[in-house]
Amino acid sequence: MEFLTDVLGDAFRYVADFGPELRAIVALTLLVSGLATAIGVVLGVPFGVWLGLARFRGRSILVALVNTGMGIPPVIAGLLLLILLWNDGVLGSWGALYTPGAMVAAQALLAFPIAAGVTAGAVRNLSGDAQEQLAALHLGAVRRARIAGREVWPGIVAAVAAAFGRVVAEVGAVLIVGGNIEGETRVLTTAIVQEARQSNLGAALGLGIVLLTLALLVNLALTWAQLRGEAHA
Amino acid sequence: MPSRTALSLSGLTWSIGDDLIVDAGDLELRTGERLVVYGPNGAGKSTLLRLAAGILGERTGDEVVYMPQRPYMFRGSGRRNLLLGLEDAESNKAEMLAKRLGVSNVLGTPAARLSGGERQRLALARTLASSRPVVALDEPLAAIDAQDRDEVSAVIGDALGDRAALVVTHDRDVVVAFADRVAVMAGGRVLQVGPAQEVLLHPGGDDIAEVLGFQNVLAGTVVKSEGPLVQVACSGLMVWALGTQASGSDVRVTFGAEAVTLHTVTTPGAELTTDSARNHWLGPVRTIAEVGRLVEVVVDVGQPVAALITAGSMDGMGIEVDDQIAMSVKATAAHAVTAAKQ
Repeated sequence: MEFLTDVLGDAFRYVADFGPELRAIVALTLLVSGLATAIGVVLGVPFGVWLGLARFRGRSILVALVNTGMGIPPVIAGLLLLILLWNDGVLGSWGALYTPGAMVAAQALLAFPIAAGVTAGAVRNLSGDAQEQLAALHLGAVRRARIAGREVWPGIVAAVAAAFGRVVAEVGAVLIVGGNIEGETRVLTTAIVQEARQSNLGAALGLGIVLLTLALLVNLALTWAQLRGEAHA
Repeated sequence: MPSRTALSLSGLTWSIGDDLIVDAGDLELRTGERLVVYGPNGAGKSTLLRLAAGILGERTGDEVVYMPQRPYMFRGSGRRNLLLGLEDAESNKAEMLAKRLGVSNVLGTPAARLSGGERQRLALARTLASSRPVVALDEPLAAIDAQDRDEVSAVIGDALGDRAALVVTHDRDVVVAFADRVAVMAGGRVLQVGPAQEVLLHPGGDDIAEVLGFQNVLAGTVVKSEGPLVQVACSGLMVWALGTQASGSDVRVTFGAEAVTLHTVTTPGAELTTDSARNHWLGPVRTIAEVGRLVEVVVDVGQPVAALITAGSMDGMGIEVDDQIAMSVKATAAHAVTAAKQ
C-alpha cells in the first residue's frame, strides 16, 4: 500500500513540476502526432470518400487492403520505414533516420489507412436514398465527393479522432525510426517505456497521466466539433 | 404530332440473378411528349426510370434530369438543397419555381426539419429548373396533399414546357393530368403504349384492364362550380364531377366504366329524372365487346363513353348496336383533374 501511494505521489509531483524535460516531450508528442494525423487525414479522407463512392472491379480488394492497414502493427510500419531510411536503403541518402521527421512519416503511415477506412465506411453507409440522389445530380467526381464528404461530416471527425488516438498511443513505430533520443526524439510513449525500464515508476505513471489527459482533451474538442456538425445538419 | 426520339429505352433490361426485373421492350420517349408509365407497386416502373436516368445499367443518362421517388435532402439549408448541382441561370429558375410551389419560406430552414411535402416541392423545383432536355419524375405528387395536387400539377406542366418528360406513377389522376401517351406496366413488362385517352378507355387486353380498369377521360372546361362539384363542358357533353376548379379552368374528367349505369329508353326523357345521378346522357350504342366475364358497351353521347356491365344485365336489356340508350353517372363517381397540358 505504501508502495502504491509512493508511486502516485511521485507521479503527481512529476506532473505538477512540469519541468523543461517533460515540456519538451509533450511538445514533441503533439508536433509529431499532430502532423502525422494531419498528413494521414489530408490524404486519407479524400481517398476514403473516393473509395466509398467508387464502383469498379477490385474495389473490395482495395477495401480489404485499407482495412488491413487499419490494423497494421506499429512495429511493422516502423520496421518498413527503417529499412527504407537505413543508410544503405532506398531513402538512406536523406539522413532522416532517428529524426522527428522519420517519426512523423511512420505515424502518418499508421494514420492514413485509419482515416481512409473510417471515412470510406461512413460514405458506404450513406442511405440508398442519399446515394441515389447523389447519382441523380450528375455531378463531376470532385463535386460529388465534396457533397458526400460534407454529408458524412461526423464520420470524418470520428476518422480524425481514431487516427490521432492511434498514433499518439503507439510506441513501436516511433521507437524504431526515432530511437528515443533524449531531447531529440523522445515522445510520451517512448519516455514511458524508458522510465518504466529504469524503474522510475512515478515518472512513468506521471507521463501516462499526461498522455491520457492529452488524448482526452483532443477527443473532447473533436466531439464538440462533431456535435456542432450534427446541430447544423 | 412530335415523333423524333428524345430518349430511346429500347432494349433496356435489368435482371437480378436470373430474374428479369424490367424489360423496356421498344419503348421510346418522343421529343416534346409527356409519357407516363403507369402500373401497380412492384411493376418495375422505378427501375425503368433509374435505367433511363443512368442510375442503373450502362446508360450515362447525361441528358436526363431525374427526381427519385423519395427525394433525399442533404445537410444544410433548404436553399442549399434547392440549388445543389445547378448552374447560375438554373438557380434563378429554381428560386422562382420554389416560390410558385410555396416553399420559398423554408429556404433558410435546415433540411432535416422539412416535411415530406416541402422536400418534394424543393426537389421538384430543383429538378424542373435543370436545363437538361429530358425530365424524369418518379411519383411527383406522392407527398403532395390532395388539395394542393392540382396547383402543383399545373406548375410542373408549365415548367416542363415543351421538354420531353418521363413520369412514373401508380396514381391514375397523374396519368389523366400529365399524359400525352401512357405506357402500362406490370410484372416488369410494358403491356401497352398509346395515347392516354385511348389506352384508358380501351385497355388492349384483360391483363391491362386488370391494371388500369376501363376509364373514361373527357377533356373540357369548367363552366360552373357548385359546392364540391363542378360542371364541365366537354365537346358535345355537359358533365358534373367532383372538383374545386374555377370557371374557365381546363380539366379532364375521369370516371370508371363500371360507374356508368345503362337504361333502356322506353319513354324518351321520362327515365332521365328518376334517379339521384346528376349526369344523364342519351345516344346510340357504337360497340359491344366482351371483356372476360363482363361486357363493354360504348355509347356515342356526343363523345364515346364506355360502360362496363355483366353479361347477365346485357342479356336482360337486349342491347344491340345502334340502339338508343340512356347512361347515368353519379357526379361523385367522376373526378375533374386539372390538365397540366392542353
